[in-house]
Amino acid sequence: MLARPDTYAIDMEPLKSSLAMPYTLTPGRAAGAFLAEVANRRIVGSKFKNSGKVTVPAQDFCPISGDAEFDLIEAPATGTLTAFTETQFGLIGLVRIDGSDVDFPHQILGARYDDLNIGDRVEAVWSDEPVETSILNIAGFKLSPNAPVGQIKPLENPAEQVEVVKYAIDLKYEHAFGPYYGRMFDEIKNNRRIMGVRVPDGSESAYLPPRETCDITHKQTGTWVEVAHTGTVRAMSIINFEFVGQKKKPPYVYAEIKLDGASTRLIHNVYLPDFTMEKAKAMVKPGTRVRAVWSDKRTGSMDDISHFEIIDQ
Amino acid sequence: MGRHVGIVGVGQTHHARRRTDVSQAGLVREAVNRALADAKLTMDDIDAVVVATGPVLFAAVNQPEKWVADAIGAHLKPLVRITSGGGTGFAGALGAYYQIASGQHDRVLVVAYDKLSEGALQYSISTLYDPFWGREFAVGIMGFSAAYWRARMDPLGHTEEAAAMVAVKNRKHAMSNPYAHVKKEVTVEEVMSSKELAWPIKLLDVPPISDGAAAVVLSCESKAKESTDRPAWITGMGYFCEADNPPDRNMLLSEPLALAARRVYRAAGITNPRRQFDVVEVQEPYTCFELSYYESLGLCEPGGAAELVASGATSAGGDIPVNLSGGCMGANPIGAVGLIRLIEAATQVMGKSECIQVPNAKCALAQTGGGWANLRGVAVLQA
Repeated sequence: MLARPDTYAIDMEPLKSSLAMPYTLTPGRAAGAFLAEVANRRIVGSKFKNSGKVTVPAQDFCPISGDAEFDLIEAPATGTLTAFTETQFGLIGLVRIDGSDVDFPHQILGARYDDLNIGDRVEAVWSDEPVETSILNIAGFKLSPNAPVGQIKPLENPAEQVEVVKYAIDLKYEHAFGPYYGRMFDEIKNNRRIMGVRVPDGSESAYLPPRETCDITHKQTGTWVEVAHTGTVRAMSIINFEFVGQKKKPPYVYAEIKLDGASTRLIHNVYLPDFTMEKAKAMVKPGTRVRAVWSDKRTGSMDDISHFEIIDQ
Repeated sequence: MGRHVGIVGVGQTHHARRRTDVSQAGLVREAVNRALADAKLTMDDIDAVVVATGPVLFAAVNQPEKWVADAIGAHLKPLVRITSGGGTGFAGALGAYYQIASGQHDRVLVVAYDKLSEGALQYSISTLYDPFWGREFAVGIMGFSAAYWRARMDPLGHTEEAAAMVAVKNRKHAMSNPYAHVKKEVTVEEVMSSKELAWPIKLLDVPPISDGAAAVVLSCESKAKESTDRPAWITGMGYFCEADNPPDRNMLLSEPLALAARRVYRAAGITNPRRQFDVVEVQEPYTCFELSYYESLGLCEPGGAAELVASGATSAGGDIPVNLSGGCMGANPIGAVGLIRLIEAATQVMGKSECIQVPNAKCALAQTGGGWANLRGVAVLQA
């Protein structure tokens, strides 16, 4: 079946968005001890009491037996290359430190891909500058053909474990609009019209945002229809606290608004001149009539509506 | 009809605002050790594992189940991760229930946790909004929850005072919960005058943010007696979803919850919930939700919630006590909370609640929720 002409996709650049968040991660006892000591140029592992297995870097639990009882040990700075690959960031290898039963990934420095062989002897290269709470205090490993096989030994005078590691993510996304959102935001941007699609079975009320099928009956939705710029508040709250990622400075009114002609709600803010909490509680209620106020900017997003204002009755 | 499934062992951590002494995996291990000890079993006796955690954004570790598997000695066992927002722990238990009811496995361990001290909670939750449609204005889950409460306030009488009574009741109950980390009694006046965060929601309507884990061993009937003489049998369990933004959505009642309750009650033979349940555990991320749940779960008529809480019926000693554990007000490690509600309901009918035990409790109700009100779960537990 051919798509209806009014649902042809409109050529819009994907919506760029990002999620940037701070974290305070907890390494736990073993990894915390490893991170504390790696700053002192000592490599710490765990030797598990029941299984006898050794993990370098240190871990809280034996990956084979689940054993949770362990002694921290000091491992040598030498080991064997067990796997490697070349990436745009350089050579990455899996290294098995002498005396360890597990491998861990790190950079391989001062070598070319063709120099590397499984089983090559390697040695840690320490960072010139200290790196806070990071395994990067070991800058990487270099080939060291004649490095003698080292031994693990009890860890003496361990430093206090690192309890918190600061971390952050900054993820970039590009969301495709698709034909329905594409048409809606194109109309908002260029024509300042808010367009939905008719609920199936000849209804005059519209889905907003528009969609291909009805959420309830799964029937194909009807033709496009413009909804009004006025509507009724169905639910509201007054945001009076700050949080990471907040786009607007509190206090402000969060509202779920049913535009005239729509059967669904949209989320937006209701603006009050001379805002006070008491005024907001009294003036914005379920049933309050509001009108969209357009922004000066044309971004093709819900931000093109600056806010809603109360219609004086 | 599948095989009978019972809860035979439970464990949870002593929840805290922030645990700096253990990693996520270490936190899980504590709960698993307690649940296995309670069930008189070791990991060797467990056929399969379900790991239930909240969104990856909460703690910035993708596929945390691979850590958890090592930490609990589940190397080479069947293992899946289940996640469903606030209902995660309950959904994990449902996954374990299906595995046993179907005959696939005899004993399944479900472990649920979140270490919320590590990330930006409200911002992470805000990503459940459509990136095109509403995320610009998102305020975590609190702003929308408050808005829904405002919609119910006038037609159903869910007043600020009624919600404050829920806060008073649950915070009082939490005093007797050894695993709760917020233990401070409050008065209605204190709740009413606490800071307006997302009015009508005020500071004391809001649960703490917690690090915590919970674990449960579920068993088939033939092996249950190896763990306990008195399992908590799951006689009905379901988790229902509604559309995200359907036309003419009902804001007064949680339709998926009412539907889940109707189906699960039928399976469990519940015809009069107020009379038949000895004790109820609900997941009330904000106090206003508990009022709404009373009505959606049929503990009272729509519009009867404020009167129900005011009557004391849902307090300790009342005829339908709700959240004798203190609910979310005592601790709120989100991914674990659905499972904790199940644990608190189960231990009541097992006769070994560590909170306020209802004498001779035979039939308990546990409720959970995820999404932004559109995922709702119900379970009935019987002695």
